Amino acid sequence: MLPAPAVFHFPWEVNSGEVQEGESVRVFGRLVCYQPEESRATLSAQHASKEHRVAVHTLFVEPFNPIIGAQYLVLGEIEKAEGVGAVIRARVLNCVDGVNVALLQNAINEQRSFFIEREQTSDNAQAT
Amino acid sequence: MQRAAMDPAEEPPSMLWGLDPVFSAFARLYVRDILVMTESTQVPGIYFYKLHPIYKVDVLGTVVYKRERDDFFCYGVDDGTGVINCLCWKNDLFKEEDPAPSGAQHSDGAQGGFNLVAELKKLRETQRSRCRLEIGELLRVRGPVKTSRQQREIMASTFYKVDDPVMAVQVAWMMDVPQLYRLCYDKPPQLQPDAAGDSPISVVGKATNIIKDFFKQKSVTRFRPYDVQDLLQPLIPCQPQTASADQEPVAGPSACQQLRQLLKEALQVLQDEGVVYRKVKSQDEVYNVRTIRDVSIPPVTRQLVTLVRTPAVAPSQVTARDTDLLIAVKDVIREDSRREKYAEKGCHILHVLSAVRQRHSLNVSKATLQLVLKSLECNSDIVSTSEDHYTAF
Repeated sequence: MLPAPAVFHFPWEVNSGEVQEGESVRVFGRLVCYQPEESRATLSAQHASKEHRVAVHTLFVEPFNPIIGAQYLVLGEIEKAEGVGAVIRARVLNCVDGVNVALLQNAINEQRSFFIEREQTSDNAQAT
Repeated sequence: MQRAAMDPAEEPPSMLWGLDPVFSAFARLYVRDILVMTESTQVPGIYFYKLHPIYKVDVLGTVVYKRERDDFFCYGVDDGTGVINCLCWKNDLFKEEDPAPSGAQHSDGAQGGFNLVAELKKLRETQRSRCRLEIGELLRVRGPVKTSRQQREIMASTFYKVDDPVMAVQVAWMMDVPQLYRLCYDKPPQLQPDAAGDSPISVVGKATNIIKDFFKQKSVTRFRPYDVQDLLQPLIPCQPQTASADQEPVAGPSACQQLRQLLKEALQVLQDEGVVYRKVKSQDEVYNVRTIRDVSIPPVTRQLVTLVRTPAVAPSQVTARDTDLLIAVKDVIREDSRREKYAEKGCHILHVLSAVRQRHSLNVSKATLQLVLKSLECNSDIVSTSEDHYTAF
């Protein structure tokens, strides 16, 4: 009944194949284009001097007021289609324009390193 | 990921749960941890995270599921690590109908610009809007954890929509929670009431309190260390008196040595505080107790004064020798206040200190003098003219 938890991912991780099909993710990015007829939106983010784009299927979150150029946070499931790559079927699409992206990235990394730390200590505890 | 109940042998006894501060707080655990917390075998309804007893939690997350009934909302909250149901009861806000229109007309003319009924209505609307959320909005929930129908859920005691347009709140939460885990939740709780891990500071604190109580009870004016040594005996962990043949000799300081060390530390603390001082530093260790009693005030008034200004002290017979230091300080201030040099400003505390040291005892510390001056001032024997300056009339 309850959906799976949406873990934070970076936009460049979505297309690189680090995320599995069907996984619930939370991704941020700048809205670059929106096609209401096809319910398709594209988010983009800069990383290592490269632009990464994420395709979002917006059927479930329409109608929404698209602000091109604004930062958005999308929450949804990964779908991999032939020829299109990974698309996120959005359950939640929030405009978070003004977000401090660097700080958000820090926070995500902090959380991840904490979980890794945890797993390591529990592995050590089990091993000993 | 055990959901089974904890091993009863591992669980700390329920009597001691209150000693863990996490138990009384709304614990900011990840939903993932809340879902797999083991339930207590002693008291169902209490859960354990790494030996910390958990009763209530605090969660911030996105609403991904919503179910509304007449009496309550059920929101599925996703914080990035897990999703949990939160049962949010509707309070009277939702049950009340709109106020009768006649009420609105009454106050219109009277208040002029400020219409109380309309403002109250606006307030109610705002409160309602903070409770009714849609999927995608940020929700903050605090409340006890319950397990119903094999599912964990949070029974919200407080819940509200969080306005977070630039994700500041979520980012702050993501940064704070790992720290909380490192500092509190992942550290084993100190649940032993008289732990062997008692820090030496607190034991010395207890020792000084015991000695101070003794002074008050027995109205001590002078003592030697061995007079009070026995009082501290209960604080030293005693050796087990087993007669077993294979009892190993315990390495480390013996009980006697520990006692003497504790006594030394306690007396040093009391000296630093100014409660005791050694009038004459000789081989014979005699300590004088700074007294707050004055000969001139009759017993009843003295009791009142001490009750008001200082912790209650039982009056007892006072001999001239008890108030040596008190009288010495009073005399110094009285005499020097007459001199022209100090007539206007009064005597500075350091001046008094050097005079008292010359006259009475070299070992009076500034702390002791400060306490004496304070008690003299309470008795109105001297007056402070400004910070650190005193005079007498």
